Amino acid sequence: MTRPTMFRLAAGLTLVLTLAACSGGGEAVDMNGEQNGDQEADGTAGGTGGSDGDADAPAAGGTLVAAIAGEPDQLDPHVTTAYFSFQVLENVYDTLVEPDVNLEMQPALAESWETSDDQLTWTFHLREGVTWHDGSDFTADDVVYSYNRIMEEELSPSWRFSSVESVTAVDESTVEIKVGSPSPNLLANIGGYKGVAIVQQENVESGDVTTAPVGTGPFSVSDYTPGSSITLEANADYYGGAPQIGGVEFRFISEPTTALASLQSGDVQWTDNVPPQQVASLPGTEGIELGQVGSNDYWYLALNQAHEPFDQVEVRQAIAFAIDREGITEATMFGNATVNQTAIPESSSWFTPYDKYSYDPAQATSLLESAGVDPASIPMEIMVSTDYPETVQAAQIISSQLSDIGINSEIKSLDFGAWLDEQGQGNFDMLMMGWLGNIDPDDFYYSQHHTDGANNYQGYSNPDVDALLEQGRVETDEAARKDIYDQVATQIADDASYIYLYNPDVVQAWSSDVQGYEVMPNRAIRFRDVTLG
Amino acid sequence: MSTPATTQPDPSTPPDPTAYDPAVPVPDEGPRGWRRTVLALLRRPVGVVSLLVLLGVLVLALFGGWLAPYGINEVNLDARLQPPSADFWFGTDELGRDILSRVIASAAVSVRVSVIAVSIALVVGVGLGLLAGFFGGWLDTVIMRSQDVLFAFPEILLAMAIVAILGPGVTTATIAIGVVYIPVFARVTRASTLSVRTETYVRAAKSLGAGPARQMVRHVLPNISAPIIVQTSLSLAFAILSEASLSFLGLGVQPPEPSWGRMLFDSRAFFQDAWWMSVFPGLAVFVTVLACNLLGDILRDVLDVRSSATARGGTR
Repeated sequence: MTRPTMFRLAAGLTLVLTLAACSGGGEAVDMNGEQNGDQEADGTAGGTGGSDGDADAPAAGGTLVAAIAGEPDQLDPHVTTAYFSFQVLENVYDTLVEPDVNLEMQPALAESWETSDDQLTWTFHLREGVTWHDGSDFTADDVVYSYNRIMEEELSPSWRFSSVESVTAVDESTVEIKVGSPSPNLLANIGGYKGVAIVQQENVESGDVTTAPVGTGPFSVSDYTPGSSITLEANADYYGGAPQIGGVEFRFISEPTTALASLQSGDVQWTDNVPPQQVASLPGTEGIELGQVGSNDYWYLALNQAHEPFDQVEVRQAIAFAIDREGITEATMFGNATVNQTAIPESSSWFTPYDKYSYDPAQATSLLESAGVDPASIPMEIMVSTDYPETVQAAQIISSQLSDIGINSEIKSLDFGAWLDEQGQGNFDMLMMGWLGNIDPDDFYYSQHHTDGANNYQGYSNPDVDALLEQGRVETDEAARKDIYDQVATQIADDASYIYLYNPDVVQAWSSDVQGYEVMPNRAIRFRDVTLG
Repeated sequence: MSTPATTQPDPSTPPDPTAYDPAVPVPDEGPRGWRRTVLALLRRPVGVVSLLVLLGVLVLALFGGWLAPYGINEVNLDARLQPPSADFWFGTDELGRDILSRVIASAAVSVRVSVIAVSIALVVGVGLGLLAGFFGGWLDTVIMRSQDVLFAFPEILLAMAIVAILGPGVTTATIAIGVVYIPVFARVTRASTLSVRTETYVRAAKSLGAGPARQMVRHVLPNISAPIIVQTSLSLAFAILSEASLSFLGLGVQPPEPSWGRMLFDSRAFFQDAWWMSVFPGLAVFVTVLACNLLGDILRDVLDVRSSATARGGTR
């Protein structure tokens, strides 16, 4: 118990010092008989106390308490884009197909499916006897309603349906999807995450879906206390069999040290909010299991090619040589990530080996010289977001490394909303951010690197890449498709459209009482097969 | 003119007899008054220590660049999270930067922000308070009610609202803190002005033809300076604390520039592993703010004429 003690000591000391300073002059000069209060004390005092709470050992079949880092903005799966929402919704909703731990698509609400010979018609046979949480029957009409809702209202996952022309119910348990061109990634698009879940029309139209969603999943939402927690109850009628635990309570604990302390004290049994610097010391902790797998998430730098001199490929390459990926990864992720020079890690079947860039300031300098660019003249405002603290940390390292080759930089850290605005308006020299939950290569290349891509904020345009990206979308032969995306990945990295940094690990920790839990590389959190010992 | 113009002023009656003659500068007694104040301050050990601490902070703020052993943004990934040692007296942070150098550099930020912010509050607040107290009537009502509105907000909340509008950064934080402290100065000034404006020497100045501006600046202001000086000292402490709070909330100084509050913010994730990351910046805030407050308390005892008798008997 030395670590928590040290924590409390340090926290307590700082707290006491600050409070003492405040109360030392708790009143202002008293001319009007008014107090110049010491409100500031609260500003730094909040939430530092370590919890000494009793460890309530959960009974078998009891409720599993999971600590997540933030609160869902709302629970409508088609509207929210927040990961916090999907952590909860993963257990509430179903999709037609769903990824397994290898991110291969497996049957879910659809038991089987086939495609026509021309690859333009997909027929899905739905599981029978599935019911909604309110007891009504799930039918093909629900699938049609859900997909049409996404497409007609242009909700956030609507781009995944760009090739879909129509969705129709053939009968109660058969759905037909017609696509305009062969769509080898259709399964990933309609099953990759719970943003494309099948929702209930009545629940949506009553407006209850935002706070009390009705799904078909293993758990139903029973209580939502904003600012504190969401409680799920086991769905005894779940098609995959009733969960063995009585329910799940998601608690919102934003401070990683607090979340981990709660896990250690037994207040919670699961968390994904683990302080990265403490991951290495966790495996030896008694009563705590650590799950760590590589993910397909990638973090990258992008240089705004509308700003000179970033339109020159040599300048972009120079910056790719000037940064020390290993150092950045170690400092921000404490080793809980894998350095990468392209988007997708080795664990993925879409991985393309690539290692042209190394940390080589001399090479960077000579590239700048050959481009005829004076490093001191390069405008460099690094735009990062305070909502992703790793970007702020990384920017400070990058700034220091860029100064080694003579580039003076400034760091602009914004909240994520403002960051997105600035990105959208092209007001940045360089930005750092990540793309999460990637499954199909079309997800992670087309919108970011095609000339007309919706997320090509850096303004990259290479006709060869455009042509390849368009081919990749319709190529149905797996091997040929892989070859296309190998070329795409290599060209993008060569052109430094993105300067890729690392693939973070998915790190989750849980109590030894929790059994049967499996970490998913796409960060989907499934508690349906879990038991509490 | 029957007033004894040559009598030395009794410390309990602020009116300076020379003020009766508008041609003679009022603060004739000024230098002597200042010397007396300083001497009274130096007679108290706490006052001496506070002054020394604040002088030290000022020296760090002015010459920190020469004193700091390392560059403030010198990232050293091989020396991350080092505990205090001979090389790094205060240890290093998560990017291998020297905490001592950053604590020193932060003094400049704290001094700059607090001095500028308090100057804003002082100038605007004293101006408004003087106008309100001197003229009274509807002007008083309008000014003071508007100040009441500002005062009704918790300080840090109001500062956060202002920063939210102007965008985070050290300049906007300075402005926000300045605005937040305006009402304090306005109230203090108005209350003192009310008690002074009906004094004979002010009325005499008026009868000799001094306009309102002259009366306010030459006759009222010098005689209400004591509470304002005390308030300034106390506000400096609160401004330092406000800056630290705003930076702690991510609204003040932006990385990579250091500030005590920002360093505390960055240290949160490392409480369990690196106590030195939070303790040293925390100590810096604590010591500086405490020194400002103690100095303010002592100044009040020494300067605040009305309560000086009781103060000498020991206020606490």
